[in-house]
Amino acid sequence: MPEGILCNKQPIVTDEQLKLTLGDKSGKQYYAEMEQLDVDTDKLWSTIQNTMKSRLKTWLNICAKCGLCADSCFLYECNDRVPEQVPSYKIHATLGEIVKRKGKVDNAFMRKCMDIAWSWCTCCNRCGQFCPHGIDMGVMFSYLRGLLFSQGFVPWELKIGSGMHRVYKAQMDVTTEDWVDTCEWMADENSEEWPGLEIPIDKEDADIMYTINAREAKHYPEDIAEAAILFHVAGENWTMPSEGWEQTSLTLFAGDWEGCKQQVLHVYDAIERLRPKRVVGTECGHAHRATVIEGPYWAGREDGQPPRPYIHYVEWLAEMLRTGRIKIDPAKRIKEPVTLQDSCNYVRNQGLKNITREIMSYIVEPGYFVEMAPNKEYNYCCGGGGGFNGIGKYRPQRNIALLKKREQILATGCKLVVAPCHNCWDAIRDLEEEYPMGLRWSFLKPLVIKMMIVPDHLKPQDEEGEE
Amino acid sequence: MKKKILLATTGSPASFGAARVAFEMARRYDAELLLFHVAGVPKKGFSYQEVSDVRSQEAVQVDEDYMAWVEEELKTTYAKQLEECKNSRIILANGLPHREILRAARSEDVDMIVMGAHSGDSSASYSKGYPGSTLQRVAKAAKCPVMTVHRESASYMGGFSHIVFATDFSKQSESAFKYALSMAKEYDCEMTLFHALDITSKVLAQSDIEDKLITLRKRLRDVYGPKMVDFKNFEVDVWEGNPYVEIVKIARERMADLIVLAHNTRELDPEQASMGSTLEQVILRANCPVVSVNRPDKV
Ligand code: SF4
Ligand code: SF4
Ligand code: SF4
Repeated sequence: MPEGILCNKQPIVTDEQLKLTLGDKSGKQYYAEMEQLDVDTDKLWSTIQNTMKSRLKTWLNICAKCGLCADSCFLYECNDRVPEQVPSYKIHATLGEIVKRKGKVDNAFMRKCMDIAWSWCTCCNRCGQFCPHGIDMGVMFSYLRGLLFSQGFVPWELKIGSGMHRVYKAQMDVTTEDWVDTCEWMADENSEEWPGLEIPIDKEDADIMYTINAREAKHYPEDIAEAAILFHVAGENWTMPSEGWEQTSLTLFAGDWEGCKQQVLHVYDAIERLRPKRVVGTECGHAHRATVIEGPYWAGREDGQPPRPYIHYVEWLAEMLRTGRIKIDPAKRIKEPVTLQDSCNYVRNQGLKNITREIMSYIVEPGYFVEMAPNKEYNYCCGGGGGFNGIGKYRPQRNIALLKKREQILATGCKLVVAPCHNCWDAIRDLEEEYPMGLRWSFLKPLVIKMMIVPDHLKPQDEEGEE
Repeated sequence: MKKKILLATTGSPASFGAARVAFEMARRYDAELLLFHVAGVPKKGFSYQEVSDVRSQEAVQVDEDYMAWVEEELKTTYAKQLEECKNSRIILANGLPHREILRAARSEDVDMIVMGAHSGDSSASYSKGYPGSTLQRVAKAAKCPVMTVHRESASYMGGFSHIVFATDFSKQSESAFKYALSMAKEYDCEMTLFHALDITSKVLAQSDIEDKLITLRKRLRDVYGPKMVDFKNFEVDVWEGNPYVEIVKIARERMADLIVLAHNTRELDPEQASMGSTLEQVILRANCPVVSVNRPDKV
């Protein structure tokens, strides 16, 4: 069969198609159509010839299949160390085969590749640190996902996710109107407790432009309020754009490279339009990777940088705590064993490992911070990265993937996990749901709000009633 | 005056008391009733097609069929009331219950939210990342008064005839007072202005207590007396003890059918706040609906 109504080689670009695909319960029809989907082998091969960089080719060629990368992969570890889960095996069995056969692969093979690309690898890039040749399977799998996406072999939720970005410029159906209204709402709802609190939209030449993860707007607007409160207390001159506020990129998880470029350009356009001195992104790992680390390349920016300095939330927060613009009440610091989830996307990928620990030093009573082992750039993926969290079809595999994180957390003896990444936060929440162990987890913002010293002039001016 | 009442319900027996009051009020006072229900809480970080059903906690795919089924369920559950209350609408949403209730209250510009104490609360672990009960969070942030009916026996049978207004003299109490007074006027009922002197944390000599009670009674009169203007049907009283116990006791003694008080907590952490909050305790123990007011709007 050529292409299905829902499962096909075209990305979703209209609201109508998006709703149609969404309406397909669990992607039943979608996956049924996928079984009939033709592979355009000529196109597949020409795409490979045109897009596969020499680095990837070299990697495929020089991999000695020595297996030194095996133990580095948490999926290998928590899947009973079956050889099929060894990183090099996974890539040779998929991308390697496609290249070897010059794109002449069939439908069943492509579906197998899809399963492996989205449920055997979270693109956490951990293996790359152990290979003597520096071969990074995360990068290879990202590339493979792109090939699969272009042929229509992508999990249902990620097809939708990529469509959301293309239709709504966000991973969820939040329109500009909804967004601006949500900001007004949050400013309003918190203005009594925080007199003078504002969420300025489209302010030009501010010191900071702030961008977020769309689910904050859709389901957890208190996250936006919390950011606003902290900017307010720190005395920041800040703003959020009415368009280009969505920093995440499910297109990245989907392998929709064209969509990635479009999405990041919305953000960059907002930066160019509002000319902030710098940009701060929310506590989200892949959002940071998408807009700060990979975004400049998608957007074709020659200097490899976003239009203005673009920092992760932890960098901003550490700066505020360091300079005393936000002060912590020592009496309110965390006084229970607490551990920290290092997000692959900004710790392994950008080296922001010490900055989160600096934050912990301010907010945790000395002696209570417990490191996971291993940690920092060697930390394991939360188990839900790379889109794994959201794909119904791979939920059983995802639940197994959580086990490594479970083991790591159990070993710390902590019940509280600080997780400054939306995806890690979700994975840990699901971990508690799947394997209850009495965990609690938190972003940084609510913790800091609870323990900061609020300057008197920012407190509500009401006479406390009690005699 | 045209009024809009938002009844936030899980459709479970825990919220029947609230439903009864809401429908009764809508009927009696010719208000529009919005029957509001959060069908599910998103389970995944993205692609929110999957939610956890608010009642069964099971994972379900949200689609038109599911939403239609939920609506049908609500219609059946409240068949009789809906039949009697012509001016009503059913509104469904997905998301975290407190957020969606507040969102709807705002977009529909409602005059009052009515809910059960556990209305829409989900015990599943995903909502644990955001502490506090649904009620706690709604009561704190709502711009309109929030009426809570904890159990069926607390749902009133007729109109309002006696309102106990409990104050701690806070700023929020002013709004609560305005609301209580306007209710008392509108429904022509008696009103008790009440303050409970908290003696649980301090050791006071009986004579000190007596002195304080006298001072506080005067304070009550001085603060609220002038504001009563031509409304005469009220008394003031101050009792000592544990505030929530005293509030519940006086409401019983006066056979009040409504308690009004301010939400008034400065505690930022809803989990902490819910522990010590007088409001929460009053709601759980009162034998009549309790209205909390936190803001000057809509009173
Ligand atoms: S460690 Fe490197 S060379 Fe060895 S199998 Fe893994 S990827 Fe190949
Ligand atoms: S990128 Fe991560 S998940 Fe993928 S193979 Fe390497 S270690 Fe395993
Ligand atoms: S969700 Fe967090 S831990 Fe998991 S891959 Fe992404 S950044 Fe890493």
